[in-house]
Amino acid sequence: MAFREGDLEIEFPDHAAPRRFDDPKTHKLARCMKAVDCIFEWNGDTYFLEIKDPDNPKAQTEGKEQFLREFQSDVLTNKLTYKYRDSFLYEYASDRIKGKIHYIVLLCMKQLDSYLLSSRSDELRKSIPLERPNGPWQNSFVSSCTVLNIEAWKRNLAQFPVRRVSDVARRAT
Amino acid sequence: MSSITRLWLQNFTAFENLVLSPSPGINVLIGVNGTGKTHILKVLYAACAITEGEDKDKPFGLKLRNVFNPYNGAVGRLVRRKNVSSTAKIQITRAGGERFLAVFSNHTKGVEDIRTYRKFFWTQKPLLSAFIPVKEMLALAPGLIAISAKREWSIEEIYVDIIKKAYLPLLTGPAGRDRKALLGALENAIEGKVILKGETFFLKNKQGELEFPLLAEGMRKLALIWLLIQNGSLTKGSILFWDEPEANLNPSLMEQVVKVIFKLQELGVQVFLTTHNYVLLKQFDLQASKKSAIQYVSLFREPVASKPTGPVVAKVSDTYSGIDPNDISGTLDRLYDEEVKRSFGGGPK
Repeated sequence: MAFREGDLEIEFPDHAAPRRFDDPKTHKLARCMKAVDCIFEWNGDTYFLEIKDPDNPKAQTEGKEQFLREFQSDVLTNKLTYKYRDSFLYEYASDRIKGKIHYIVLLCMKQLDSYLLSSRSDELRKSIPLERPNGPWQNSFVSSCTVLNIEAWKRNLAQFPVRRVSDVARRAT
Repeated sequence: MSSITRLWLQNFTAFENLVLSPSPGINVLIGVNGTGKTHILKVLYAACAITEGEDKDKPFGLKLRNVFNPYNGAVGRLVRRKNVSSTAKIQITRAGGERFLAVFSNHTKGVEDIRTYRKFFWTQKPLLSAFIPVKEMLALAPGLIAISAKREWSIEEIYVDIIKKAYLPLLTGPAGRDRKALLGALENAIEGKVILKGETFFLKNKQGELEFPLLAEGMRKLALIWLLIQNGSLTKGSILFWDEPEANLNPSLMEQVVKVIFKLQELGVQVFLTTHNYVLLKQFDLQASKKSAIQYVSLFREPVASKPTGPVVAKVSDTYSGIDPNDISGTLDRLYDEEVKRSFGGGPK
């Protein structure tokens, strides 16, 4: 079962049941709540997936520059944080959360190497936050939070093959 | 312009047949331990050293031995180890086309037995150079040269040489614009200037004078560069060999260090450096501009079917992204993959 977001296509096994979450047709509170792009299930856990693709060959220069500004400031981390929190709330209230929740951000920027990915992941973990305060919280808010680029996705999530649609089209011509 | 334009090593230490055409600017050597990065710096330095100063007219073999310091002084130990007799060849070419060749076998014991070719022509024009070793030595400078002269301490000569270079008298007269800018950048980083009292170096700034042993080791390295520029050891046409500039430097200082290296290149200094450090390497990538002349040399052992490891070979790239293999980013990838696995609690599988 393929999930497509812009120029990226990810192939999931059917039982992972990926669903487009950031869709005003199905998300009933899109006017006031942020939403991650996709939610899928795997091994009894729930995965929230957000895709950012500034390397998309079709991306407009203006859009890329805007993304870079957000990336260099704390705007992107804030956006990713609120997307997670709102998506969690919506799914929690819908009673659809199974197992632990893992948050994956697929950030397609070829300049991002493992060192920078690691530091981005740490930043997001602090912001969401990943830590559970001692005492009041009885349940986990998020189990893991990971920023991956395409290469890191391919190495670590090989069971969900990802590809660029434009690459496939170019090879075919 | 003096620079090394070609290096050919045959059966020398880790190398079976290595040919490099260095950039006239910056040459960054990377590779895991034991891939001969420092050996390349040392062999080039030995060839430069015999063209100037007190090493001029010394036999190349003597300099090579003293720089490498093999067991019992047996230079034959520098020949790549094989089960049969073999011969090492070192051929170095400088700008203008002059070539120098040295040949010796694994049976060679005395430095006089190393055969050299065209040494007379090679040494006609000086190749000014400085070798900055991993361990900073200026704090140990007082008395070290005397001890070394008496051969009371078996130490690689690069350590003594750099102290001697640092002791050279400062140039007089106004500095040119480029040199001034470079010195200014260094003075900002070390927050002062270096002075010499007797045999002891001090950093002088508004707070007073601080002797080198009390100064952070990373700062001493930058102070050494300041001295080498001030005394004319690093000038247009000279060659800097710098082994692991990152040693004892906080990552926050790497930006300054790389800035200084680029400025040296713009001044006309050819630079050879080795590194194991991601931040340093990334700074080269970030600071490189169109006017930069930089080459990355990745050294690695080519797998040979019959042996676990083969001889060391090199792949060269003009860009950071083209470095292949890049053991530094490869290590970070593996580290990050471990982190990702931990995040997912061993899954999703």
